Amino acid sequence: MAAGFKTAEPLEYHRSFLKENCRPDGRELSEFRTTTLNIGSISTADGSALVKVGNTTVICGIKAELTNPTVEAPGKGYIVPNVDLPPLCSSRFRPGPPSEQAQAASQFVADVIESSEVIQTEDLCIERGKLCWVLYCDLMCLDYDGNLLDACTIALLAALKNTKLPEVTISTETPEVNLAKTRGLHIHKHPVSASFCVFDDSILIVDPTAEEESLKTAQLTVVTDEEDRLCTVHKPGGTSLSGEKLQECISRATARQREIQKLIDKVTRSVKTAQ
Amino acid sequence: MPRNSGIILSSRCVSGGDIERRTSSHAAVWFITFPCAMPTDNKRVRGPEVSQSPSLFLCEPAGALPSHGPRADGRQRDQVDVRPVFVRCGLVSQAKGSAYIEAGNTKLMCCVYGPRETERKDETDMKCGRLTTDMRFAPFSCPERGSWIQGSQDKDLSLMLHESLQPAVCLHKYPRSQIEVNVMVLENSGSVLAHAVTCASLALADAGIEMYDLVLGCSIRQDGTSYVVDPTYTEENRCSSVSSENQGGLTVAFLPSLNQISGLQSDGEMAEETLTAGVRTCIEGCYKLYPVIQQALAKAVRKAAPPPSES
Amino acid sequence: SRDELVCGSSNVSLREFGCEQSLLSRPDGSASFVQGDTSVLAGVYGPAEVKVSKEIYDRATLEVLIQPKVGLPSVRERSQEQCVRETCEASLLLTLHPRSSLTLVLQVLHDDGSLLSCFLNAACMALMDAGLPMSCLFCGVTCAIDADGQIITDPTAAQEKESRALMTFAIDSKECRVMMSSTKGSFSVHELQQCIAVSQKASEKIFQFYRDSVKRRYSKTL
Repeated sequence: MAAGFKTAEPLEYHRSFLKENCRPDGRELSEFRTTTLNIGSISTADGSALVKVGNTTVICGIKAELTNPTVEAPGKGYIVPNVDLPPLCSSRFRPGPPSEQAQAASQFVADVIESSEVIQTEDLCIERGKLCWVLYCDLMCLDYDGNLLDACTIALLAALKNTKLPEVTISTETPEVNLAKTRGLHIHKHPVSASFCVFDDSILIVDPTAEEESLKTAQLTVVTDEEDRLCTVHKPGGTSLSGEKLQECISRATARQREIQKLIDKVTRSVKTAQ
Repeated sequence: MPRNSGIILSSRCVSGGDIERRTSSHAAVWFITFPCAMPTDNKRVRGPEVSQSPSLFLCEPAGALPSHGPRADGRQRDQVDVRPVFVRCGLVSQAKGSAYIEAGNTKLMCCVYGPRETERKDETDMKCGRLTTDMRFAPFSCPERGSWIQGSQDKDLSLMLHESLQPAVCLHKYPRSQIEVNVMVLENSGSVLAHAVTCASLALADAGIEMYDLVLGCSIRQDGTSYVVDPTYTEENRCSSVSSENQGGLTVAFLPSLNQISGLQSDGEMAEETLTAGVRTCIEGCYKLYPVIQQALAKAVRKAAPPPSES
Repeated sequence: SRDELVCGSSNVSLREFGCEQSLLSRPDGSASFVQGDTSVLAGVYGPAEVKVSKEIYDRATLEVLIQPKVGLPSVRERSQEQCVRETCEASLLLTLHPRSSLTLVLQVLHDDGSLLSCFLNAACMALMDAGLPMSCLFCGVTCAIDADGQIITDPTAAQEKESRALMTFAIDSKECRVMMSSTKGSFSVHELQQCIAVSQKASEKIFQFYRDSVKRRYSKTL
């Protein structure tokens, strides 16, 4: 009976839960799904992390390569983030070039990296004007159940913390790479995002599932760092939001930042002690 | 393709590009320009035009593998010594059926969607269902970074996967519909096709698609007189003996309870007897996998429909 | 029928605005919008027949295409398209045209900063010109925070480059609330609130400009 109601009238089905201040999966309106993290599981990548936010799973693999810096920025390296939504992760995605959603997510991650200065591209320079690192941060969704952006930022941050770059020395014009000596990246900031959905123009819920996303009237993603500074307030249209609601989202986002940073630190430490 | 240091090579080498030569202040530079794929990939965040893997500049280049004695990971040569596998069903919430397999460092995932209406109406078969396979490598899955754009290798592997799976699926039970099999290689540490076959058949079973039998995959690498079963990435890509005789790889897809081979792929050069012996070794390897796969499947079924409690 | 507005006398300063509607003959609605040296041309097609794959059974499908001045659209344009599209979707009454398509094309003529807000303004004027039913109007405002913490509204490209943070908001005409937000750089909560307040103030001016420009246009034709 309930299943039939859900398929026939998905909006009414969700409304009947929201009226009681809860959601179909048993969560409260301001409750995130269980977030789990696995760091460094891909040995072919220089840094990697797998994040699960409820069912949503995102894997991030970072590969470092050598290249020449641009003439305009001779002392800077590159960070190239890309998000992929392969047909594997949900039946809503078709094979082929990245969809608008995937492209918008790539741009979002690129903006978060630039705005938060999680890594300063100056740190990636090896020899000014000649050689620098390019970090290809490839994010892939393996199971899409909503809230892609949050999972992506967590995966990216954890993978960056896990990344080790080999030592490079330059002798007689050609670089020499020493895999035995590696160093980690300097993480300047810890940006963490929190996503919200607006239901029926007024009800605010956090960490939406794929189903909730399809019924939303607006979506908002707030990214904050450990100093409580806002790095991104991304609301791609939708119904308008009052100042109080926005303030509510920001406070929830700062709390979320603390939780996630703690989680990442905990997992990073356990990986280190295991080695 | 030249691979010595000092030559800048595009890391996104996909076949079908025109190679044009330009000169720079350092050394001769080879650029591979792509008529359509590369310069106009405006659907992804773009990085520098060319970059190289640091492995090209190692101060101590990796030596050749020994052709005798135990293997790098401690397994035995010339024996059916497959890597221990970890398998799990039903991890992906959105898919009809899914499976994850980990053999040594090789990690891959498979999702099955369908049966659903065929998208291309012109290809609708009234009597028989359609099986589509798509196999891709994550860009970070290999020692050298791969491209997001599907290369010819991925397409070849997708086709071989399709040919290995199709005989096992009762497609006549699904008229006018299609079943999609998507495989994602998260880490490539050798024998990818063999494990993809195993993983895909497990995902199909998890999705409740009717099949005649499971399909198991196993591969060997023949290296002169000796062979290695379930080779790793380095064993696959680096040959040790000088002689060019009997050098090759072999992957077999096998239906264990029907005792039939559904797919066979071999490359390199092998004598007839070596090849038949190789097929026999692969079948033996498949039988070693069989109980693990059965257990994983039984576990998934038990979880989905727990037996009625005795009360 | 070209209308211009000079703002800058009061505390919120905007560059010189200009708008012309119905300047193209082929589209169902068109507008050019000028903010200082930034200029965007918008054309709206529809409601028209929709491709089966994009059909939505209970409302119209809106597509937004952004064409840069040179070259092909990239990931950045795709993200801006998403912002403009979802803002338009929220203000348009799409349920009145089920199973049809609306296409909005935005062509950059010149970019001298505040481009996203100019896209939004041009889009709104073009939708109005096409006579599409909307629940409210919207406008775009860009704010830059410079190194001294000063808020500059409607910044030029040079001011954008020197800024510490950049924010663009879409404000609705009904309740003056934030419909869309897109930001760059890091900033405090207080700065965000200040920028929203400034944008809301600026939006009043822009809506007044909308009104004047439409009034002038119809006073000539009627």
